[in-house]
Amino acid sequence: MSRWLAILWVMVTAVAGGYLTWRACDGVAFRTDLTALLPREDQNPALQKANDTVVRALSQKLVLLVGDTDRMAARTAATEVTRRLEASGLAELSTSGFDKDRLKAMGTLYFPYRRGLLAAQDRQWLLDGKARELADRALSQVYGFVGMADAALLRNDPFLLMPAFFTNLPLPLSRLTLDDGMLSATVDGTTWILVAGRLTGQPFALDEQKRLGRALDLDGLTAARPGLEILRLGAVFFAQAGAEEAIGESTSISILSTLGTIVLVLAAFRALSPLWLSLLVIATGVVNALAASLWVFGELHVGALLFGVSLIGVTVDYSLQYCAEIFAATATPQVRLKRVLVGISLGMATTAIGYLTLFFAPFPGLHQIAAFSAIGLVASWITVVLWLPALDRSRTPTHGRKMLAWAERFWSAWQDRRWARRRLMLLTLAVVLAGSGLAVLRVDDEVRHLQAPSPALLSQQTRIQQVIGSASANQIFLIQAPDDETALQREEALVEKLRPLVATHALAGFQAPAQFVPSRSRQLDNRRLLAERLDPLLPDHLRQLTLAEAPSAADDSGPVLTLPEALKIGGPLASLSMLVLEPGTHVVTLDGIARQSEIAALSGTIDGVRLIDPTGDYSTLLGKYRGRAIILLGLSALLMAPLLVWRYGIVRGARILLPPLLAVALVPSLRALAGAPFTFFDAMALVLILSIGVDYAVFCAETTQERKAVTLLAVALAAATAVMSFGLLAFSRVQAVHSFGASMFLGILLAFLLAPMARRDE
Amino acid sequence: MIRVLARFCALLWLCPLCCLAAGPQGSLAAGQVLRGHFVQERHMTGFNAPLKTEGHLVLSAGKGLIWRAEKPFAVTTVITADGLTQASGGTETTRLPAAKLPFLSHLYDMLGGALTGDWHALESDFSIATTGTDKAWQVVLTPRQDQSPIAMRIRTITVTGSKFVDHVTIAKPDGDADDLSFIDQTLSDGPPAADEAAAFDSLAR
Repeated sequence: MSRWLAILWVMVTAVAGGYLTWRACDGVAFRTDLTALLPREDQNPALQKANDTVVRALSQKLVLLVGDTDRMAARTAATEVTRRLEASGLAELSTSGFDKDRLKAMGTLYFPYRRGLLAAQDRQWLLDGKARELADRALSQVYGFVGMADAALLRNDPFLLMPAFFTNLPLPLSRLTLDDGMLSATVDGTTWILVAGRLTGQPFALDEQKRLGRALDLDGLTAARPGLEILRLGAVFFAQAGAEEAIGESTSISILSTLGTIVLVLAAFRALSPLWLSLLVIATGVVNALAASLWVFGELHVGALLFGVSLIGVTVDYSLQYCAEIFAATATPQVRLKRVLVGISLGMATTAIGYLTLFFAPFPGLHQIAAFSAIGLVASWITVVLWLPALDRSRTPTHGRKMLAWAERFWSAWQDRRWARRRLMLLTLAVVLAGSGLAVLRVDDEVRHLQAPSPALLSQQTRIQQVIGSASANQIFLIQAPDDETALQREEALVEKLRPLVATHALAGFQAPAQFVPSRSRQLDNRRLLAERLDPLLPDHLRQLTLAEAPSAADDSGPVLTLPEALKIGGPLASLSMLVLEPGTHVVTLDGIARQSEIAALSGTIDGVRLIDPTGDYSTLLGKYRGRAIILLGLSALLMAPLLVWRYGIVRGARILLPPLLAVALVPSLRALAGAPFTFFDAMALVLILSIGVDYAVFCAETTQERKAVTLLAVALAAATAVMSFGLLAFSRVQAVHSFGASMFLGILLAFLLAPMARRDE
Repeated sequence: MIRVLARFCALLWLCPLCCLAAGPQGSLAAGQVLRGHFVQERHMTGFNAPLKTEGHLVLSAGKGLIWRAEKPFAVTTVITADGLTQASGGTETTRLPAAKLPFLSHLYDMLGGALTGDWHALESDFSIATTGTDKAWQVVLTPRQDQSPIAMRIRTITVTGSKFVDHVTIAKPDGDADDLSFIDQTLSDGPPAADEAAAFDSLAR
């Protein structure tokens, strides 16, 4: 029977291995955005969708600044960068084609509707009854040194309102100017040229990042011309740097973890077979888990991979339990398996319950980790049960007396009556520590603290902001309305409130779709203002201009400019198309927020207008789900309880839960005493500490009086390997991973030290 | 849009300015101030007669230009390294700070060259043909590239002069032309008058 099952398991594993090989040849898709590991807002799907769109739009933004002391060299390089980006098909540029055709197209688009289009300042002058000033401005432009008006323009627009409207169009980058078709700025003798746009694909897909990197080959460009500098800004570059580091880290952590495990097993057993049996258990666990996860999810997050790799340290527990039995009374492999079978099965079941509660966390990334680890756990357990006895050729070892004696002493420290008082004192101390630690516990949900962006890219970001003026902020106003017209009217109301903030420098600037295309009602009102206040001045104005032909009579009955027309495919208003997400859903982007509170105060004052702060929202949600993780912790303890009560009864069951629960309480307290904040990721570590701690307690409870030293030795080895792999995570530069690792390190250590409490020999 | 316009304008100023200051060999020395009377005629299709503007100008080396149109419409334009303003009847109608228009400062660099008699600054954009003698000379500027934004607005610039620039004609592709005549030009070594200095300084605000 078990022989056939073992063969079946060989076949399953072979299929999993084959599938992995096939996927690897195809190029496995790893996702790298840390925010994908973060929670989903669950109450308002419409808001979530809008939020997602905004976050995606922000993360797809791509800004390159090409600088050289020689203007022509900078222009040549910028042309080359533009060409490469366009040839790659990975990005749509908003800065290319800023030539006379684009400007001509803009004129063609707006000109028929000019009676409805007024610059904000001009409209205000008309409202304030300053029509005469507008006429004088036109005259000074004609008669002044700057003869910017030509006859054709004057005939159609005698008050020169169109040039003013064009000046009023919100170009987001205030210090840049159009120099022969390129947006550029000169700072300290260096000419900087902007190449900007948005990615057409996903900024967080590794494959996309690599293709972009190859297509751009910025290093090649800068190497070819000394003095040429190319500054980068965009989520794709941060994500790429982050992913490279995460992959590098996960590689080195897994290598160190594996090496550590090998050294430990060799030192303990002084034989090769436990080593390769353990490696076999780990390998089948990882292969099956990876194949199943890729099959289920289609792709795997780098974070899930990082955590999953660390689970190697946990799946080795079962093989160690089995292998350590050779230190007990001599028996056949099958008998040795029988002795530990209940222990490792219960351990596997409780741990799997602990991991699977991660499924209740609404984090897509954690679902992957839950699946990855639970499947790996079960697969490794199957390998131990089905393969190990069949493959085991171990002989009873002659060494190990020392290790067992040490284990015996550890047992007696927990069980010997002589130590009862000290045990009590130690437990009291633990309770005091836990209490005082909880008193100074400080939570930190700031999502920005969880990532460690590349310092080089951060400094480039600062320099880009210095060159192009205020950079666009990561906060935006989201306008939601049943249709475009209502949305535009709401923006106009918002713009009225934003203009004073710009005047008082609370904000450097903003871009609203309504500035490009006023609402229908605003356009009609502008026509009315022109007809009532400016048109009466026309005869006199024309006389002063000595214009022969009177302009064709104003026709105010025609259609107004609509958003769809302005957004026509291939239209000239690339910056507008980035502000309109879909009909009725618009965004108003903000530049250089100086006084956050004044901006935030506007949110909600206009119907359907909301300030979106993606990072702030994530922080709020992280806090919410940190609380939820604590509930998960209680839930997984509750889910394990029936299993333990069924096996041990209420009193012994509670005794088994005591050590892991103590560890869970002590970890955050000790971390707090050391000054570390409590984050969501610490909370998630506690969930795992509970299930691994229950493992150790169950092993100790299940063992017999004769075998208990052997069992404790195996638990010690298991804890040592787990501490090694999770302890190494504490060295991660990614704060989230570091917190998780540090908590795991402490928790596993405590779970091991407290585990013998689970057993009471009468 | 306005930036493109500004660039065209910049070129339009640039040419008369540099010619004004210097013949093929002459130049405006540092600290010198050139004052004069100008008559500008803009020939534009669709207008009964040329748009004629008369006024005074003040060009101060190292400071900038004051272009004071008086007839038929009073408007004063001041250009310095800090930018450009236009004011009419005490109301400022236009202000373009150079910080917002890096091209303007670029222009000022070129101007600096032209003011010291260095025509080379123009050579990247124009081919330059000089004829005549020091007493009666003519310079014709033609845009080098047919498709450049400059060529879209300017066909040729013809500058004639003797001691100073006397006449500038800017011919445009659509048949329009600007004629500028300069008369009663005087060169003085003193600093600009107080009101002139104030006008230059007002831009720095």
